[in-house]
Amino acid sequence: MKTLLVAEFREGKLRVEYSQLIAFAQELGAESAMFLVGSPDELPRFDGTLYLADVNSYGEYNPAVHKQLLLDVIAKEQPETIVFHHSSYGWDLAPRIAIALKAAQISEVVAIEDGKPVVPVCNAKLRRTITSRTPQTVLTLQAGAFGMDEEPSGTPSVVQIDTDTTGTVLCSGYEAAKTEGVDLSKTEVIVSAGRGLGKPENIAMVHALAKVLRGEYGASRPVVDAGWVEHNRQIGTTGNTVTPRLYIACGISGAIQHLAGMKKSDFIVAINTDKDAPIGEVADVFVVADVKQFLPVLTEKLQNL
Amino acid sequence: MEFTREIYWNVGQGFTTLGPMYFLVLVTLSVFVYGFIRRWRVYRLGQPLNRTDHRGARLKSMLSHVLLQTKVLRVQGPGTMHALFFWSFFILFLGTILIVLQADFTDLFFDVVFLKGNFYKFFSLTLDLAGLVALCMVAGLMIRRYLLRPPGLITGRDDLIMHLLLLTILITGFLIEGARMAVTELGTPLAIWSPVGLVVAKALSGLGEEALRTLHVLIWWLHLVLALVFIALIPFTKLRHIFTTSANSFFADRGPTGKLTSINLEDETTEKFGANELDDLRWKDIFDADACTLCKRCQDRCPAYATGKPLSPMQLVTQIGATAFSNPGANLIDVTSRDVLWACTTCRACEDICPASIEHVDKIIAMRRNLVLMEGEFPGEEVMTAMEQTEVNGNPLGMGYASRGDWAESLGVKTLAEDSAVDILYFVGCYASFDKRNIAVARSFIALCQAAGLRVGILGKEEKCCGEPMRKMGNEYLYQTLAMDMIETIKGYGVSQIVTTCPHCFNTLNKDYRDFDFDIKVEHHTVFLDRLIKDGTLRINRDVFSCTYHDSCYLGRHNEIYEAPRNLIQTAGGRLTEMEKNRDQGFCCSAGGGRIMAEENIGERINVKRVQMAGATGAPQLLANCPFCLTMFEDGVKGAEIEESLRPRDIAEVLAERLVVQDTPGS
Amino acid sequence: MNILICIKQVPDMESKFKVNAQGNWYDRADLAWRMNEYDEYAVEQAVRLKEQVGEADLTVLCVGPDQVKETMKKALAMGCDRGVHIADNDSCMREPFAIATMIADFARDKQFDIIFTGMQSQDRGSAQVGVMIAELLNISAVTTIVEFAYDNGTISVKRELEGGSKALVTVTAPVVLTCQLGLNTPRYPTLPNIMKAKKKEMLTIAAATDEQGRQETAAFYFPQRKGGGLVLEGDPPELADKLIQLLKEKTGALA
Repeated sequence: MKTLLVAEFREGKLRVEYSQLIAFAQELGAESAMFLVGSPDELPRFDGTLYLADVNSYGEYNPAVHKQLLLDVIAKEQPETIVFHHSSYGWDLAPRIAIALKAAQISEVVAIEDGKPVVPVCNAKLRRTITSRTPQTVLTLQAGAFGMDEEPSGTPSVVQIDTDTTGTVLCSGYEAAKTEGVDLSKTEVIVSAGRGLGKPENIAMVHALAKVLRGEYGASRPVVDAGWVEHNRQIGTTGNTVTPRLYIACGISGAIQHLAGMKKSDFIVAINTDKDAPIGEVADVFVVADVKQFLPVLTEKLQNL
Repeated sequence: MEFTREIYWNVGQGFTTLGPMYFLVLVTLSVFVYGFIRRWRVYRLGQPLNRTDHRGARLKSMLSHVLLQTKVLRVQGPGTMHALFFWSFFILFLGTILIVLQADFTDLFFDVVFLKGNFYKFFSLTLDLAGLVALCMVAGLMIRRYLLRPPGLITGRDDLIMHLLLLTILITGFLIEGARMAVTELGTPLAIWSPVGLVVAKALSGLGEEALRTLHVLIWWLHLVLALVFIALIPFTKLRHIFTTSANSFFADRGPTGKLTSINLEDETTEKFGANELDDLRWKDIFDADACTLCKRCQDRCPAYATGKPLSPMQLVTQIGATAFSNPGANLIDVTSRDVLWACTTCRACEDICPASIEHVDKIIAMRRNLVLMEGEFPGEEVMTAMEQTEVNGNPLGMGYASRGDWAESLGVKTLAEDSAVDILYFVGCYASFDKRNIAVARSFIALCQAAGLRVGILGKEEKCCGEPMRKMGNEYLYQTLAMDMIETIKGYGVSQIVTTCPHCFNTLNKDYRDFDFDIKVEHHTVFLDRLIKDGTLRINRDVFSCTYHDSCYLGRHNEIYEAPRNLIQTAGGRLTEMEKNRDQGFCCSAGGGRIMAEENIGERINVKRVQMAGATGAPQLLANCPFCLTMFEDGVKGAEIEESLRPRDIAEVLAERLVVQDTPGS
Repeated sequence: MNILICIKQVPDMESKFKVNAQGNWYDRADLAWRMNEYDEYAVEQAVRLKEQVGEADLTVLCVGPDQVKETMKKALAMGCDRGVHIADNDSCMREPFAIATMIADFARDKQFDIIFTGMQSQDRGSAQVGVMIAELLNISAVTTIVEFAYDNGTISVKRELEGGSKALVTVTAPVVLTCQLGLNTPRYPTLPNIMKAKKKEMLTIAAATDEQGRQETAAFYFPQRKGGGLVLEGDPPELADKLIQLLKEKTGALA
């Protein structure tokens, strides 16, 4: 089997997630080539053919141009599978390729079972295994679903590619992520403080854990009421409703408004001494511990990873 | 010697007196009538509303409120002073009428004199003392207003005019009496029947008859003019409350308490819903502003005001009045402001205490209806989300509707769809269906019913929110959609009685749903359980404990159910320490009026304040009867950092722990 | 301006899902239905555009069984002018390409200037339909927009990228725009508009019969719960190790 891996280059940098594409190809046991509109100065570590278009000529993302460059490579390589990240680049470009190739597209693959891609349905509540009926198949991979145990290595053999297509969609630049203010509704990791922390000074433990996990901290209503945490970080239906990938509830028993405001999180860790606390109903992992003792240990171990 | 006195003594009863006097009276009455006609025109800008039905009952309650000052007397201190002043001034007024009646009518035309003999002695003494009481009360009220200055009391031009007028009328009255007595009664046995007048007479007696007679005639005219100015100013100053507040007692809402008016959504010609302009309000809403005396009792009890939110029910009513009379084209919502309108918890503390029968909550709901139904506006996105969740899943929490009955699965409780032969339908409500804390209350209630041998059914996934929080937030459309749905479902099963563990559901099913041809008996669980215990169906072990009890607004003020829950607490062995604000003075938990769905982002948190009051009793348990209160208190004890010392619980939980374990008959 | 808004009716994600008898999709019983969240942003943006330019005709389109009309009514109450219902009882089984084909076939001769739709559906979540419609119509497409501005024929949008940065993109009509959370806050329909919506035109057209699909569902099932509702007990250091291991296995948070 032959795969073509579509790597990404954005804001002047090669996106290092390309290693996940390689990991996927390895899991599939497929021979692979890579496609990149990027810079010759920053090449992915990869043993195989890299079809490279110079980003300075074709732009970081220009749908029509990238589509044509990619279709040219596909015509040459004839891969059975074309693999994208399920990302702003991948989900934008992949359907264009699928239409052009009259190929099935399978989005947000999280696993391979019996050689068939598995995708989540309904916010990952359900899963679906899919059989493609077309000779070629376009896939997009969920971020983080496939990973390598070690850093990728190797040196690609670069094949320069060109096109004279122009596009109608013009990307004129980027706007940097806002640093001031906090938007918990879009935060990927949230560590949330509850009354189980005991006293306001212990909020620092939650700050520390959030920092190691490169996330934000939030709080339950009583903690906000008590003035330990500012108001805009309250989580619950009467505060922020959040859907992070990881939610760690620290010493929160779980009043209904709180639960309704965070239970759509992908993965919920509850840390509480009371095994019967309502938070347990939504938690994927329930750590029975005193949050005041547990958090410093956890944070330290994560720092040392 | 017959005791009496010469009326018009020294002034004379000839045309030179009566002519100018009655001319002035006529002018005064014209000004008075003109003033009220102008106001009447403004009242009529409002929408029609029938408040002249049940005239006998209305008259009776008006007389009680006015003559007995029943509502005024609910607040001691200023209320007592007002009542005493009212009664004494009323006596002086009646006395003056009697004098005019005799002098200018019965005596003049028929030679009938009734102010004589012992009756005159009694008359003289009564009026003299009434004058003294009135004078003391005016002085007392002035000291309160101008020296003690209670916080929140608004003092304006009208107050100064009123107090000075009353003061000078009373003082000139005594001066006239004193001058007359100094000349005619000093040393006679009659003098002692006007003790205050006698003191004044003695003080004045040194002036000599000539000076006294001049003084008397001057002050007599001054007194007359002041009295007429007083009457003429009634429509133009807060003095109007003499008539408007009294009339408002007649026009008062006759209940059911706290039931809102349903909008007719079938009428397709309606293009505007709710109120954002004066003429969207009902005439009574405008009249209310004229009936308000700025006594600030509503403001003193408002939980929103007490926690630093911009709402003062009194100021809201004043603003509507100011708009009506000086800027009737203004946008009412801009005038009153959104934060004010959204802050109300509809706890009805304001309406309950108002001596002027003002309906604050209806005005707020009318404006909220305009914001929601015409603008799609809510206090925050979280409320809009809750509304949408309710549309989709029938509960504001957004929990999947199909799992609504899951809590009861292991309890042997059937849904009506499975078996509709039940003694009662338990209308569970959203919180007791989905919230683990409140599910514990629902389970306790089921245990109690089962112990009493009752067959209980629930609607399970067919149950939806009763619509109360949405309705109170102004979303009449969603409320009626839910209400119609619930009514059709419940009626389809032919149940004879419904019990709720939520006073909001109870109030809504029992009052609001009645507009839609719904007549099934509805009870709150405290009343229902109290009856079961009284008739011996349910047996509870007495096991002593200490607690305090929170009267929820919707069980208490909305339904005046104060005793049933206290009976239950006593039966269970509770030693109840009341909070300072209890029964009809109860302080809201913060969740009423749909605020359960909203972020409380202005001022202090109401629930924290309430649990602090509960904590101050020293009792280790705070008993509640409402899932909203319980939810707020569970958060509140943590927010107040007293969760170790105060445990919020529902009464049903306390009872369920004390169930008498017995064999069921026949087993 | 002629605008098309493509919406989908999806189950509320809080519903109790069950696998259907065929084992290839969720069972439709006991579900609460609503407008796909991302499509609500699409409807809202279209209505705002109409409010801005004045002259615009908004057609809302939905593929599905008769019950989707309920969801379409919400779009009409929010401000769309007319509804087109492509009647298809099997729509939930169709792959994105089939749905995109139906929509493109409808739109082909209608000269829509802008087609708004959600960046993905909440149930299937493929994020394919919008782009495929554009490709089938051979017009431009910009996905995942979080800001939109229209000025005299020029459409300027911001695309949401990973990590919070945004790409500034300009494009001209005709174009398909797929909308992402953050683009706007959809309005709550006012009561007069809910009433007006009941009288708006709602055209139902039959779905073209299906061709052979490009993919099929091999299995449909509940995944193991990520932590399996796992309860960890023990000493803090031991617990921390276990938790870190789980986070590595089950989440991308430590990546």
